[in-house]
Amino acid sequence: MRPGRFPGTGRPGHRTILIGLVAGSCFLASGGDRPAMAQTAYNNALEEAPGSWWGPGAGRRLAAESEWPNAFGTLGIVNAAGPIDTRGHPFFEPLGTNGRACVTCHQPADGMSLSVETIQRRWRETNGTDPRFAAVDGKNCPHLPQGEPASHSLLLNRGLIRVFVPWPPRAADGKPIEPEFDLEVVRDPTGCNTHPEHGLHSANPMVSVYRRPRPAINLRYVASNRFGVSPFIGKNGLLASVDPDTKKPVNMNLMADAREPTLKTQMQSAASGHLEMPGTLSPQQIAQILGFELQLYAAQVSSHGAGRLDEAGGPPTLGPRALERGRDGVLGNNTTAYVFPMGEVWKDLPEGTGDTEAARNAFRESVARGHDAFFFRTFWIQDSMHINSVGLGNPIKRTCATCHGMHMLGMDTANGWMDLGTTNLPWAMEPPQDPWSTSKPELPLFRITCKANLPPHPFLGREIYTQDPGRALISGKCDDVGAIVLQQMRALAARAPYFSNGSAPTLREVVDFYDRRYNIQYTEQEKQDLINFLSVL
Amino acid sequence: MKIRYVSLAWLAISLAAVADDARLNFVSCPIVQDTPTVPCWLADYHGERYYLGIQTDVSAEFQPPYLGHQVLVEGVVTNRPRICGGIVLEPVKISVLPELDRSCNTRLPIDPRYTIDFNPRPPGPSLGRLAFADAQPPGPQPVKPPFVTKEFTVFFDFDQGITFRHPRDLMNIVHYAQETRAKNLTVTGYRGAMKLSDGTVLSESEAIAEKRARQLAELLAGAGVTAAMKTSWQAEPVPADGIDDWQSRSAKVVVTP
Ligand code: HEC
Ligand code: HEC
Repeated sequence: MRPGRFPGTGRPGHRTILIGLVAGSCFLASGGDRPAMAQTAYNNALEEAPGSWWGPGAGRRLAAESEWPNAFGTLGIVNAAGPIDTRGHPFFEPLGTNGRACVTCHQPADGMSLSVETIQRRWRETNGTDPRFAAVDGKNCPHLPQGEPASHSLLLNRGLIRVFVPWPPRAADGKPIEPEFDLEVVRDPTGCNTHPEHGLHSANPMVSVYRRPRPAINLRYVASNRFGVSPFIGKNGLLASVDPDTKKPVNMNLMADAREPTLKTQMQSAASGHLEMPGTLSPQQIAQILGFELQLYAAQVSSHGAGRLDEAGGPPTLGPRALERGRDGVLGNNTTAYVFPMGEVWKDLPEGTGDTEAARNAFRESVARGHDAFFFRTFWIQDSMHINSVGLGNPIKRTCATCHGMHMLGMDTANGWMDLGTTNLPWAMEPPQDPWSTSKPELPLFRITCKANLPPHPFLGREIYTQDPGRALISGKCDDVGAIVLQQMRALAARAPYFSNGSAPTLREVVDFYDRRYNIQYTEQEKQDLINFLSVL
Repeated sequence: MKIRYVSLAWLAISLAAVADDARLNFVSCPIVQDTPTVPCWLADYHGERYYLGIQTDVSAEFQPPYLGHQVLVEGVVTNRPRICGGIVLEPVKISVLPELDRSCNTRLPIDPRYTIDFNPRPPGPSLGRLAFADAQPPGPQPVKPPFVTKEFTVFFDFDQGITFRHPRDLMNIVHYAQETRAKNLTVTGYRGAMKLSDGTVLSESEAIAEKRARQLAELLAGAGVTAAMKTSWQAEPVPADGIDDWQSRSAKVVVTP
């Protein structure tokens, strides 16, 4: 369930093993920055055979309903508009120069995200030549030797893609924004932020951070403009981004930093960036991708523990058909709509006849308790920017659903960024720095110094250390440092690791993170119930 | 316990009628007192404990302060039964001071003596409506001719510009300007000051009046107001007399059709 570190990705203290494995696995390493076009053809041929891996240009059919195995059971995908012939479909075809398609990083079996397990398997199968590992962002930094596991360690171990944005940030009209803080690179294990060509002090200054592909499913909900959308951002009263076509404000819930206002701008950036496509998508391609994205639903559909999740009369939130039917743009942090409406059907179940049924009923009851822990169990939420700062006080005594309030998806309803502490110190995961530790930090570390003539960050002060400044990379605001847009909570079983920086390898670590961060003091039973609940979403 | 939305005009009149010795203006560390339901917010001053309000939701007139910061309190002492052990201040206006003060970290555990018997919003999910939904001021209303010059006042937290609290104010102005096809709009920023009960006067920072004026104009223009805009500001603090001094932290927007 938990893929280990990938061999050869450079763990200090294991140098002998490392050299052996690198030598054994990188015979293709050419030192070139870009995988040769020929490899694409090779990979495509390899992928003709159906299986869980979906290669670019594979020309397979995506059925109206399909199921994909994962460690917790199976994920269900629904094409509400009917089966899709992916031949020639712009989401599935390599549109650019590097052989990648959207599907390269948004795999059906992985809930249209990408699990570390899939990444590692793909590396082994292709000796690191899959276009996934392209130099542009499938590597810790483009200048590193292509095809050596160590050069791709963040992708191989944590499932992270390099995301690079200009610094200082630019407004929608292209004008530079004067940031409220100075940004310095304190630690640069990938070499990218200090690199003369790719770094912060290059001719074209860029900040590189490393993030998980977000699941491209249930996007009708993610992109819904029906709740909390106004010309002013609900979290700070500043101007909301607008849709460049309609000039209307948008919900600002896409990407970890809300830099893309719409699915349309997002797909163009993805095509130019990830796919290295020259020029722009045609109106027809845009319409096709958008149409595909807005009719696609996915959720876990069967569970090793709980059995079928989509039985008639079962909990109304589970399975992809529930998402297809559900209403978007609804606030669910209440006992009328609920975030994840579970009903009462999995409470107080009979013992069951026979071991299998007894075990299934016990698991279902655990899921129901896990839901209640998510929805009703209070704890103190403290020093989390954009939740403690929006009129509730610091700390607040609330629940998981206070932040994860969107009906059916568990994102925030609009302008969904908050500082949970996943990327900001002291809560961000960092290897212990002591003489006995053999592990080294893998992610960059930035020092943010907020300008003295402006108010400090209300919870972190004027000096903040962060692995990823999140929203602040786009807004230039001190208050936004480390604020990350909540992802949807569906299809979690299919797409470990979790959090934008992949810092939680398992659902247990997600729960443990919260337990530490907010000193919740969950019992072991509560933790297991929460994990079981998350695993069936 | 009376918790309801009070219009600013009503509040101003009611406070003016209050005897000066019942007013209490002070700066101190807030204290959060847990209860079996929602937490209470308190503050100590001169050896006495005062009750400020409870945690509810964003629709509340009282929005709790922050641990990690001092809070500026402007209240009127009442002789109502204590809540969570604190003398009830009402009305009460608070403002979180922007600089951090990590010594403000008192969080008291549940104490059987203290319960909250009014509960507009439990600590978990709501019952499907905001706690004070009925008391919310109405949103933008249609504007009928003849179109007249209208003045809007925007209030701020101490030493702060626009925050999450302001979208409603901003929308009202944008709406009026657009409905009346306003030709001119002026924004005047003010720098507030506050006279505390011990005689000290706290003034906001010098640059704040300008920041408020510029920020408002920029946001209104960004939201589509096309009127010609003029900004000005008053860098000298508004004189403080200890009576409703929170009103000095403001900006005035005049919309002329
Ligand atoms: C190299 C891997 C990669 C490829 C190829 C790729 N993406 Fe992504 N995608 C990502 C990453 C990483 C993110 C998250 C970035 C962030 O949070 O800053 C993302 C985010 C998204 C999101 C946002 C979902 C959300 O909830 O915020 C959508 C939609 C999406 N991608 C669609 C596409 C489309 C369409 C294409 C093809 C044009 C594509 N992607 C190609 C890696 C990839
Ligand atoms: C203070 C607001 C807040 C609270 C409370 C909160 N979360 Fe989150 N949650 C977030 C944010 C922000 C993220 C995204 C962080 C990131 O990616 O770095 C997130 C991400 C997640 C994810 C990861 C999803 C993914 O796709 O990687 C899960 C699962 C999750 N939360 C579960 C929970 C559970 C369970 C609780 C209650 C114990 C909880 N959350 C409480 C804000 C919150």
